[in-house]
Amino acid sequence: MEIVVCVKPVPDAETRLRTAADGSTLDIEAVKFVLTGYDESAVEQALLLKEANPGSKVHVVSAGPPPRTEEVLRASLALGCDLATWVEMPPGVAPDPVSAARALARAVAAVPHELVLCGKNAGDDEAGVVAGALAELLGVPDYSAVLDLRWDAAASRLRFQRSTEAGVEKWEAPLPCVVALQQAWNDPRTAKLPAILKSRRLPIAKVPPEAAIPATGTTRPTKFELPPPRTGAKLIEFKTPEEAAQKLVKVLKEDAKVFP
Amino acid sequence: MPDFSLTPEQESLRDLARKFARTEMAPHAAECDRASRFPEEIYRKAFDLGLLNLNLPTEYGGSGLGLFDQCLIVEELAYGCGGMTTTVIAHCLALAPILLDGSPEQKERFLKPIGAEYRLAAFALTEPSGGSDPGSMRTLARRDGDGYVLSGEKCFISNAPQASLFVVFANTDPSQRHKGVTAFVVPRSANGVTVGPDDEKMGHRASSTAAIRFDDVRVPASDRLGPEGGGFSLAMRTLDHTRTPIGALATGIAQAALDHAASYSLKRETFGKPISEHQAIQIKLANMAQAVQAARLLTWRAAWLIDRGQKGTLESSIAKCFASDAAFAVADEAIQTFGGYGYMREYPVEKLLRDAKLTQIYEGANEIQRIVIARELLRGYG
Amino acid sequence: MTGPTLVVGELHDGALSDATKEAVSVAQSVSGKENVVGFLAGSSPRGPAAGFGRCGVARALVAEDPRLDGVAGAVVAHLVASAADSLGAELVLVGGSTFGRDLIARLGIRWNAAVATGVTSLTRTGASFEVRRPVFGGRATETRQLEGAHAAVALRPHASAAPPDSPGEVALTPVPLDGVPASFWAAKRLSVEVVSRGAGPSLTDASIIVSGGRGVRAAENFRLIDELAASLGGAVGASRAVTDAGWRPESYQVGQTGKQVSPQLYVAVGISGAVQHLMGMISSRVIVAINSDSTAPIFKVADYGIVGDLFQVVPALTQEVKRARGQ
Repeated sequence: MEIVVCVKPVPDAETRLRTAADGSTLDIEAVKFVLTGYDESAVEQALLLKEANPGSKVHVVSAGPPPRTEEVLRASLALGCDLATWVEMPPGVAPDPVSAARALARAVAAVPHELVLCGKNAGDDEAGVVAGALAELLGVPDYSAVLDLRWDAAASRLRFQRSTEAGVEKWEAPLPCVVALQQAWNDPRTAKLPAILKSRRLPIAKVPPEAAIPATGTTRPTKFELPPPRTGAKLIEFKTPEEAAQKLVKVLKEDAKVFP
Repeated sequence: MPDFSLTPEQESLRDLARKFARTEMAPHAAECDRASRFPEEIYRKAFDLGLLNLNLPTEYGGSGLGLFDQCLIVEELAYGCGGMTTTVIAHCLALAPILLDGSPEQKERFLKPIGAEYRLAAFALTEPSGGSDPGSMRTLARRDGDGYVLSGEKCFISNAPQASLFVVFANTDPSQRHKGVTAFVVPRSANGVTVGPDDEKMGHRASSTAAIRFDDVRVPASDRLGPEGGGFSLAMRTLDHTRTPIGALATGIAQAALDHAASYSLKRETFGKPISEHQAIQIKLANMAQAVQAARLLTWRAAWLIDRGQKGTLESSIAKCFASDAAFAVADEAIQTFGGYGYMREYPVEKLLRDAKLTQIYEGANEIQRIVIARELLRGYG
Repeated sequence: MTGPTLVVGELHDGALSDATKEAVSVAQSVSGKENVVGFLAGSSPRGPAAGFGRCGVARALVAEDPRLDGVAGAVVAHLVASAADSLGAELVLVGGSTFGRDLIARLGIRWNAAVATGVTSLTRTGASFEVRRPVFGGRATETRQLEGAHAAVALRPHASAAPPDSPGEVALTPVPLDGVPASFWAAKRLSVEVVSRGAGPSLTDASIIVSGGRGVRAAENFRLIDELAASLGGAVGASRAVTDAGWRPESYQVGQTGKQVSPQLYVAVGISGAVQHLMGMISSRVIVAINSDSTAPIFKVADYGIVGDLFQVVPALTQEVKRARGQ
C-alpha cells in the first residue's frame, strides 16, 4: 500500500505562551517544535499498516518554514517512514489551514498515494481542517476521528472505528481516501538512537509552495489573549445542596463555558 | 570561532535522552530510591533505544557516540535519575578497556553479544584496601600453564550483581607494584566467581553495587587484555575517557536541583509574596545557575578536546571535580530553598543531594582529581 | 447585498442537536432572523427539520435519501456547497461536532470559504467576519479575521445558548442529490456502539478532572468522586493524602510528586490545597473547589467555590450534571 502521512510541526506542549506587547502575535518562548500528538498517532498508524502489509511504503509530507519542518520530517524518518517531501515555505510564514492543505495537496498528488493519513488536528491552532480540505482537493472521501485502522486485503476495504458524538462507529471503506486520526489506541513508538543518526543523512525532497495564494477564502489571526491571573474563588451562595449544584452548573455552562 | 550551539543531530540525540529520562526514568526514580530497586525493565528499554551502549561502536551493535555526544545524553539521563545513569556509565566504563586494548578477536567475542542483546558489564578495579592506589592491589593473577589463576576481592563494583562479564584488574607481578597490574575479561559464569550481596548505599539506589570474590578463577591467556603489566596504563587511559561523563552526570543532577528550586520559589509564598521575590532566594538561585552553567561548559570543553584526539587529562579532571562539587552545592542550596519541605523524602531534592555526593567520590575521588590537576598544571610551569 | 446564512443541522436521538440550535441562535444574531435558512440531510429529514421552525427559522432545505444515514461527511459537504451556492449564501454555520468540523473543512475548498472551527464568538466586521476561538489547548484565545466572500464556521459546543423553543413553522424545500462523486458513497458505517465512560479518559488526557482529597474520609466514599467524574465524562484524580491512605493507587495522584495536569475543568473535592497539590493542577483552565473549610487555600486559586459539606453537595451536583446533560 502507498501510504502518505501529513505532519505539522507545533510548539512543544511545555512551551510557555506569551503575547507580544500589542497582542497581535504570540511570542513563543524557547520554541521547540515537535510532531503534534495526533500526528504521532498518524505516523504510528502508517508504520503499523506498513508492517502488517508487506511491500507498503510510508511517505511523510509537511508544509512549512525551516528549520522546524525539516526537523519533524527527520523525526518521522527516524521513526521508520521511508520517504519525505517538504513543501518549503519562507521563514516566518505560517499558512492558514486551508492554504496548508493546498500546499500539501500538490505534494501529495505528485507521489503515489492510496491512503493519506493526518492527525485529527494540530495542538497549536486546533483547526482540524487540513484532512477534509486535502481530501476535497484530491477528490477522495475522508474519515475523521479514527481510532484504529486495518486493511482487509481480501475484501479490499479499510476497516476502522471512529469516535464521534454518537459513540464508537465501525466503518469500512475502499481506497483511496484520507483518514484523520484521533489520539489513537496505538502507543506511538520512540525513535531509536541509531535511527535518529541515520535519519540525518536521508534525503528529503523539496518542493516550492504555490506561488499565488488565493485572494479569497483565507483567514489570519489578528490578536492573541492569555487568560488572566487567578484572583480567588467566586463563592457560590446557596441554601440547599441542590441550589448550589444548579448554580454551579449554570456558571460552568454560561460564564466559564467548560460544561461538557 | 568557537561554537557553543549543538547541531540538529545532537539536539535530536539530546531530545531522545531527555524524553526517556523524563517519561521512563523520572517517574520511577523516587520509588527505586526508596526501595533500592534495580529497575531492569528501564535499562532494557534504554538498551532497545540505543541509550545503553553509548560508547560501543556501531559495528558491534552499539551507538558509537563520541565523548561529547555521550555527555549530552548522560546529563539528560542524570536529570531523570542519577542512580539509573550510574548503571549506564558503569557499563560503558567496563566496555572502554576492551575497546582500548582488546584485540580484534577479543572485541568480536566480548562486544558482539553486548551489542546484540541486553547484558551489563562491570569494571572491577577497586579493592577493600583502597580505590585510588592500584600499586597496592591484592588481587593476584598467577601464571598457570596456558592461562592464569585469579584470587582476591574487589569491592564497590557497580553493576556487579547483574553483569554478565567483568573487566578485572589483577597483579601478575606484585614485586613490580603498579607495573605488574594486568587486565582480564572474566565471565560471571567462571568457576570461583562469587558476587556478594547488594551494598546498601546512601544514594544512587537504583544502581546496584557489590563486592566480587575470585577464588582460584581460571582465566585463559586469550582473555587477557593487552600485555602483562599493561593494566595500570589501561586503567588510567580508560578513566581519562570516562571521567568527563561523570561531569555530565553531576551537571544533570545540578540542573534538576536548580529547576526544582526555581519553580518551587515561584509558587511558595512567605510574608505575602512568592519566595522568588526575596533577595535571599534570588542570590541562591543566581549562584546555583552559575555553578550549573560552568559545570556544563567545563564538561563540554573536556569532551570536545578528547574527541579531537587530545588526552584532556587536566580538562577532564577539572570538569569532573568542578561539576561534582557544583552538584553537591546546588543540591544543598535547593534543599535550603525548599526549607523544611526540602528535608522531607516526599520532595525530590534530598535525593539529589545524596546522589550528588557520590559524584565527588567515584571514578577518582575529588582529592585525587585535585592532585592530578595540580600535577598537570605545574607541568606547564616547570 | 448580504446573502442568507445557512445553518446545517445534525441529529441527536432523532431531533435537531443542541449544537444545531446553538448555531441557529448565532446565525440569527449575525444575520437577522429572516436571513437564516436551515439545511438537513438524512433518510427522513422532514420530521426533525420541523425543529428549525421551533427555533424561529422559516425556511429549510432538505436532502432526503435512505443512503444519507451514516454516509461519509464528504457527501453532505457537496450537497451543502451546492445549496449555499444556489441560495447565494455568504455564511454557513454548523454546530461544534465531528460532523460539523468535517463539513467546514470541505467547504474551505468546495465553496472557497474562509473557514474557522471551534469558534466561541462570531461578529461581522464590514463585509467579512471575525471569530474568537481557543487555541493551544485553551491556553490562549485568538481573534481571527475571515477574508473573502464566503465564510464557513463550526462553533464550539455550548459556547452560546440555543434559542427558546417557540411554536413556528418551517417551509421545506428538497434539494437534488446529483453532483456527488460516486466514490463518496462507497464507505459504509456498519454499526454505532454507544460507549459508557465507565473507565473514563486518562488523567493526563482528560479535559475534565474530578479529584478527591482527605475530606472524602474513607475509600468507600470515593465513589462520590467517581460518580461525579462519570457524569461529566471526566477522569478521577486524588490528592496525596488519598493515595497515602491507600484509598486509591498512586497513579491517581495529582500534584508535584504525582501527575501534573491542565484540564479545561478541575473540580477539587475535599482538597485543602497544599502547595504540593496546587503545583500539579494550577494550570487548569477553570478550577472549582468544594470544601467545608472556607479558609482552605484551595479557594485562593479556584475560580468558583462551594463552601459546604461535600457529602451533600457532591451527590446533588452529580444529579444536576446528569440532568443538564440529559443522562
